[in-house]
Amino acid sequence: MKGEPAERLDPRAITLWRITGLLNLLPLLVGAGFAAWALIRFGDVSLFLAVVPVLAVLVLGGMVVGVAPGLRWRRWRYEIRPDEIDLQRGILWVDRTLVPLARIQHVDTRQGPLQRRFGLSTVVFYTAAGPNQIPELSVPVAAEVRDRIAELTGEQDEL
Amino acid sequence: MSSERHLHPVAMLIGAIGTLRRWISGLIFPGIVLLMSQGFSLRTVALFLIGVLVVAALAALWGFLSWRATTYTVIGNSFRLKRGVFQKSERTIPLDHVQSVDTVQGVIQRAFGVFEVRIETAGGGSSEPDASLSALDRAAAQSLRREISGSQMEGTEETAGPAVLRKLSTRELFVAGATSGQIGVAFSVLAVGSQLFDDFFSDDFVRRLVETLAPNWLMVLLIFIPVGLLLAWFLAIAGTVLAYTGFTLSREEDFLYIKRGLLERREATIPLARIQAIRISEGVLRQPFGLAAVRVESAGYGEDAGVSTMLFPLLPRGEVQEFLAEATPEFAVNPALQKLPRRALRRYVFRAVFGYLVLALAATLISFLVFQYAVGLLAFFLLLPAALYGWLCYRDAGWAFEEDRLVVRYRSLGRKTAVAPRRRLQSREVTRSPFQRRVRLATFLAEVASGSGGYALRVTDLDARTAEKLAGNLAPAARLEGA
Repeated sequence: MKGEPAERLDPRAITLWRITGLLNLLPLLVGAGFAAWALIRFGDVSLFLAVVPVLAVLVLGGMVVGVAPGLRWRRWRYEIRPDEIDLQRGILWVDRTLVPLARIQHVDTRQGPLQRRFGLSTVVFYTAAGPNQIPELSVPVAAEVRDRIAELTGEQDEL
Repeated sequence: MSSERHLHPVAMLIGAIGTLRRWISGLIFPGIVLLMSQGFSLRTVALFLIGVLVVAALAALWGFLSWRATTYTVIGNSFRLKRGVFQKSERTIPLDHVQSVDTVQGVIQRAFGVFEVRIETAGGGSSEPDASLSALDRAAAQSLRREISGSQMEGTEETAGPAVLRKLSTRELFVAGATSGQIGVAFSVLAVGSQLFDDFFSDDFVRRLVETLAPNWLMVLLIFIPVGLLLAWFLAIAGTVLAYTGFTLSREEDFLYIKRGLLERREATIPLARIQAIRISEGVLRQPFGLAAVRVESAGYGEDAGVSTMLFPLLPRGEVQEFLAEATPEFAVNPALQKLPRRALRRYVFRAVFGYLVLALAATLISFLVFQYAVGLLAFFLLLPAALYGWLCYRDAGWAFEEDRLVVRYRSLGRKTAVAPRRRLQSREVTRSPFQRRVRLATFLAEVASGSGGYALRVTDLDARTAEKLAGNLAPAARLEGA
């Protein structure tokens, strides 16, 4: 296996991940607030104890929104070599995946509503064993990556 | 071959029974209520019988009509099925999309010596066949099969027919059942049974039963657990007998044929070219006797999923290589496996023990808080077996990459050995957890196509450097090989 893959995701990914993290956290925060309220109202628990769930969610939120996106971006790397796609990702558990281009059946780009706001796009490629993706590339880069994968896949098939 | 053909007339009966079954499940309840409320007077019984006759007659008529409406033909390069009494439907399946032509013989079909033919393509769902012909006689089934697979085999001449590779003897069948270890499955059946029991007997009866039994709960446990286990064991044997009676594996050219089943005879075809990986599993009850089962992971057409199929349910470990050499030569390798580094042992034991530790702590805490009684401490006695299991997992783990094939051995209760050729690997992955990074270990994972996702060959805790090298070595040499 060669050294780290060369390419990085678009830096705007960090902001996007912060926002999605926040959105995912909201229901949890509402739940914790409700729990705190219920504890005070019915459980006869002191205020200090009751805010524990809210604090816990806030700490978690700090991690998810503040720290994780940056680390995640720094770790995420990809490279499309003539024969293989090389992916590296994960904050604590670091995954390195190699997918031979000859095994790729088709490639998509896809874009969620938030991604569209940021002008980002995700490239998804499928092998017979399931999909893999490179998320949060700027739209032109994603299109380029998609076309390059498609082209290389075709070439590999002819061999 | 372009004439439109009908199914065997038994199809009428099968169709009628199917219809009846659907109606009866809707009618049985009102019928019983009617009988109960009116009492068993001659009039109601007569009415009931007339009702049954009318329904049966209608079902028979429907069976006849749908038989008349159903025809199939093979035209050019596609299979065509016409169906429907009122709403006509016509389905065309291109022959080279056909993944398998299987025959199944249910109880009715067996009674009349006919076969249900199922044609599966890759596009459709996994459980429902894309086209099912409910009754064909032997000759018709064979000629249809030949027409369909003939185009796939590209003009293979009529040969002597598939050669039988191995047959499961009656003795082996029972041994397979007794050692199948499907006791868990059987237990769930028992649980459902006891649920029915609950519904059936009155609360009063149950309460009295409990009152008489409660003081002697230890006795009851001592009786019930062995009896339950024994019952589960018999169920497991019965299940195996039902599924695997007469298990026969044969091969002709590049196709494997499997026949099996006691009441329902099943016949399946596996093209060798679709087999992605092979798994030899030595169950907990089988390993001590040197026995193993062999499964294949096969993929479908295009991106569609294949399945994990039993290739042979029981054979001595020593004969596996010989068997594979005949059945699936591509997978017949038995290299010496590379062991994991010593420092992986600690990770294995920790991983096995950790779950139990959390559980035991929770059990202690709960038993102490709820019952004021630290019964949960008993759970700590499980730690030693758990650690032992971790050690076993470590001892059995290993891998090899030889003759262009990846071999991986691991234990998950039973010991499993998986073999996949390099050209079947869809992707490779090296994962490192924070704990592994500290001791320079990594988990290696290679995926082959199977099922709706993939089947992964995994080596946990091998040397990180080795894992990376392995991932590199397994790269496809497409440019050299010409794929």
